[in-house]
Amino acid sequence: MGKPSDLLILKTVSLEPKHGWAIAKRIQQISAEVLHVQQGSPCPALHRLRTTRLDQGQAERNRDGRQAKFYPLTAAGRAQLEKEAANWSRLSAAINLVVETT
Amino acid sequence: MVWARRFWLRLQTLFRRDRNAKRLDDEIQFHLDQQIAENLAAGMSAQEARYAAMRAFGNPTFLKEETRDTWGWTWLEQVAQDLRYGSRTLGKNPGFTVVAVLAVALGIGVNTGIFSALNGVALKLLPVPRAEQIVSVDQIFHGKFRRNLHGESGLFSYSEYQNYRANNHVFSGLLAYAPFLEATLGGENPKQLTGAEASCNFFDVLRERPALGRTFVEEDCRAPGASPVVVLGYELWRSRFDADPSIVGRGASLNRAKFVVIGVAAPGFRGLDPWPSEFWAPLTMQKALEPDTDLISEDNTGWLALLGRLRPGATLEEVRSDLGVIAARIDQQYPGRTTTLAVHRATFLGRQDERTVVLGVGAVVLAGVGLVLLIACANVANLLLARASSRQKEIAIRLSIGGSRWRIIRQLLTESLLLAFLGGTVGSLVAFWAVEGIARFIVAHLPHGAAQLVWNVSPDLRVWGYSLGLTAFTGIVFGLAPALHATRQDLSTALKGDGGGFIGKAASGGILRNALVGVQVAVCMVLLIAAGLLMRGLYLAQTADPGFEMKGITQAQFNLPSQGYSAEKAQAFERELIASVEALPGVVGVEQAQVTPLSHSFLGTGLTLSGETESRQFEFNVVSPGFFAMLGMPMVRGRTFTAAEGRSDAPVLVITESTARRLWPGQDAIGKTLRDGEKKESQIVGVVKDSQVSHLGHSDGLFFYRPAGPAEQNRLQLLVHSKSGDAATAKGIREAARALDPNLVVDVTKLADNLEVWRTPSRLVAALSGVLGILALLLAAIGVHGVVSYGVSQRIREIGIRMTLGADGRDVMSLAVRQALGPVGIGALVGVIGCAAVSQVLSDVLYGLGAHDPIAFIGVPLFLLAVAFLASYIPARRASRVDPITALRYE
Repeated sequence: MGKPSDLLILKTVSLEPKHGWAIAKRIQQISAEVLHVQQGSPCPALHRLRTTRLDQGQAERNRDGRQAKFYPLTAAGRAQLEKEAANWSRLSAAINLVVETT
Repeated sequence: MVWARRFWLRLQTLFRRDRNAKRLDDEIQFHLDQQIAENLAAGMSAQEARYAAMRAFGNPTFLKEETRDTWGWTWLEQVAQDLRYGSRTLGKNPGFTVVAVLAVALGIGVNTGIFSALNGVALKLLPVPRAEQIVSVDQIFHGKFRRNLHGESGLFSYSEYQNYRANNHVFSGLLAYAPFLEATLGGENPKQLTGAEASCNFFDVLRERPALGRTFVEEDCRAPGASPVVVLGYELWRSRFDADPSIVGRGASLNRAKFVVIGVAAPGFRGLDPWPSEFWAPLTMQKALEPDTDLISEDNTGWLALLGRLRPGATLEEVRSDLGVIAARIDQQYPGRTTTLAVHRATFLGRQDERTVVLGVGAVVLAGVGLVLLIACANVANLLLARASSRQKEIAIRLSIGGSRWRIIRQLLTESLLLAFLGGTVGSLVAFWAVEGIARFIVAHLPHGAAQLVWNVSPDLRVWGYSLGLTAFTGIVFGLAPALHATRQDLSTALKGDGGGFIGKAASGGILRNALVGVQVAVCMVLLIAAGLLMRGLYLAQTADPGFEMKGITQAQFNLPSQGYSAEKAQAFERELIASVEALPGVVGVEQAQVTPLSHSFLGTGLTLSGETESRQFEFNVVSPGFFAMLGMPMVRGRTFTAAEGRSDAPVLVITESTARRLWPGQDAIGKTLRDGEKKESQIVGVVKDSQVSHLGHSDGLFFYRPAGPAEQNRLQLLVHSKSGDAATAKGIREAARALDPNLVVDVTKLADNLEVWRTPSRLVAALSGVLGILALLLAAIGVHGVVSYGVSQRIREIGIRMTLGADGRDVMSLAVRQALGPVGIGALVGVIGCAAVSQVLSDVLYGLGAHDPIAFIGVPLFLLAVAFLASYIPARRASRVDPITALRYE
């Protein structure tokens, strides 16, 4: 299960619960602006993950006082994150090997 | 737990769609606001900040749709949409909807009704607790061996029953009972009852508790004749004993043997056959109830039906293999015999012989009603096709702005399913209501003697499932072809099309439509010819001359052996009864016969011709010398028996004309001899004219008559010819018999009543097939009418042009009618050929009628063609009255 973007979202949320915009922003920042995520795209993914991997979005007040949805990770979500992260490490290591040995 | 949570969330998204949508909007708005705020902070102008944020976000509508998809209810939404849209379109065309719903209702209703009737006869489990555990066991014999039968061929002997009961490992209990036991309940007013001899675990295996007293215990079956006890049926207890609560322990006389009533069965329990059982006695009392036989001690006589209750977890497969071992062991005692066992969930009419008949009849009837449904389907499909072409533009637009073909097919199918369910509901409800009435009517009109049939036709889960499945299937069958056809179109033509077509235009749809009309007519033809054949058969059966005299003849039937009459006592009784009946006013003659003509009792035996070794199977009757004269059956050669031959048991025979012709073609049969199983030679003294004394409609089987000797007096019935009216004669006979033996039940009826029993099946079948034929004709006529009307409306402009160019009304009319009758003609031809192929099936119920009766095969097609012509004539005439100017402007 899981599209590549799921891994990014889960990872981002695992540090602290975030709302949609912050997730997009965060991915962009951490990847040093390489991954230029269209800002709306976490939206559908969040709703899909919401059923199992993320807690029902909790409405909290943002710093500026507006309501926003923060999505903490569930146990299942954490498990999936670990699994997918491990998968990714193996995959990227393998690709690295192939690319660099020529 | 994860799935529960997921399901809960899903349900939330279903029932709180609006809230969810609002939340999604909020989230997106918040998202945008954040970005705008950041952009503003970066120094953009308000408008610029807004645009940049929107650009960065992407297409919100698209994202919203994608998010909704993740909620997972899109399909349901679409179904709801289709249903809404479908019901709106159906509501907008009330004429179309009503016709289509009625057609489907007819088709489904007839099918559901017949199915629930069949279900009531032979598919429902027995009316006992946990009936799904009860299985019936039947034997099917193979090979050459001797076996005595006392009822159907699959029944077991007592020793076989005990063997199966003791050695099986699959039943928690195995019961046996002898169905259809006739017994006279003695008393003030002796009454003939139908009951059963049952093993002593009968009620325990069935888990039936008595309403009063107790049922059998094993002690009751300890030894033959030891325990004369009886359990009464609830209805007998109420009608005959006034529901007397102190009945238990009282005496009751059955076939003149004294029994003690030990209990009364529960109100709903009427035994294991559609013919209710009024009492139950232990198997071991068989000889007391039937003094002329001793079945318990006969190891090779089949008389018991077996039913077992499965041990928990045992399967039918296990039952078959476990009992098969026992069967093989029993077979070893009978060289040449191999037994296979038929094991089924127990139902009414579940024994092998009965099952064969019920399944055969059921299959033919279901095929008939299936054909009616097929016509209904073709009819509605045709209507849908016609409508689809007027919706061509709508569908073309939807396809061209991106609706997928599958999506549109789904929508059209939803519409036809909606139609099917409307029709199915109406049809089934009417059927459920009507079939109970019809069943009551049929039961009430069954001939004498079978009156109180148990026939529970109320719908159960199986019937509901059947009608639901059939409805869904119907909806898809009639909806699929039009839906596929409607969505497979050339968009540009369809969008440009002006709907004022010419002949070539709607060609492809035309072929499909014509094919559908052809199918309807062909199927209708099959049904109508079948109905025609059956009705002709009925007519012949009603008017058939059985070849002997029935007028003024009364039959008196009684069973002396069961009442303990010895041959001598019977002889005296018969002599005195004949004497007193002869003395009645108006009586012309009294004769005796072992079976009265057409009474559905058949006597059969094997006789061997001199010079041959293989015996031939004959039917026979045992009669007094004047039998032939009374029934007006002239002797063709030789003479009837003499009185002396009757008294002395002389070895003489009278045979029928066709028997003589078959056995000794071209020779004189008088003086020839036949040898019976005990090598006794009998000489033929007379040849009598053929008549249908045994089977109505058949007089050509091998048949002989034997004189009624002194040893057979206890089996003889009386035939009385009287000129003083049936009622008076019957009363006189009854009184004469009562004076001799007040405890004997004598059944006095007109001989002609026997005909009714023969005619009832063909009457029922003819009525049913007539109704089906008329329904089919109605549907087919609507179909033809619809297609011609549609064709006319489609070609109205062409008609206008033709008329402006000089065609008159006649030409236009003949054009329209000709085109319609093409497919009708082809369909009719196919139908006639098809029916000629299947009508052989019907020949069994067609008395004296060939399967290819010319009147049915020529008359019915002509009738159908006339109806089709009329159905096309009405809209065609409308076409001929079209005003050319209006037609040309018609859009």
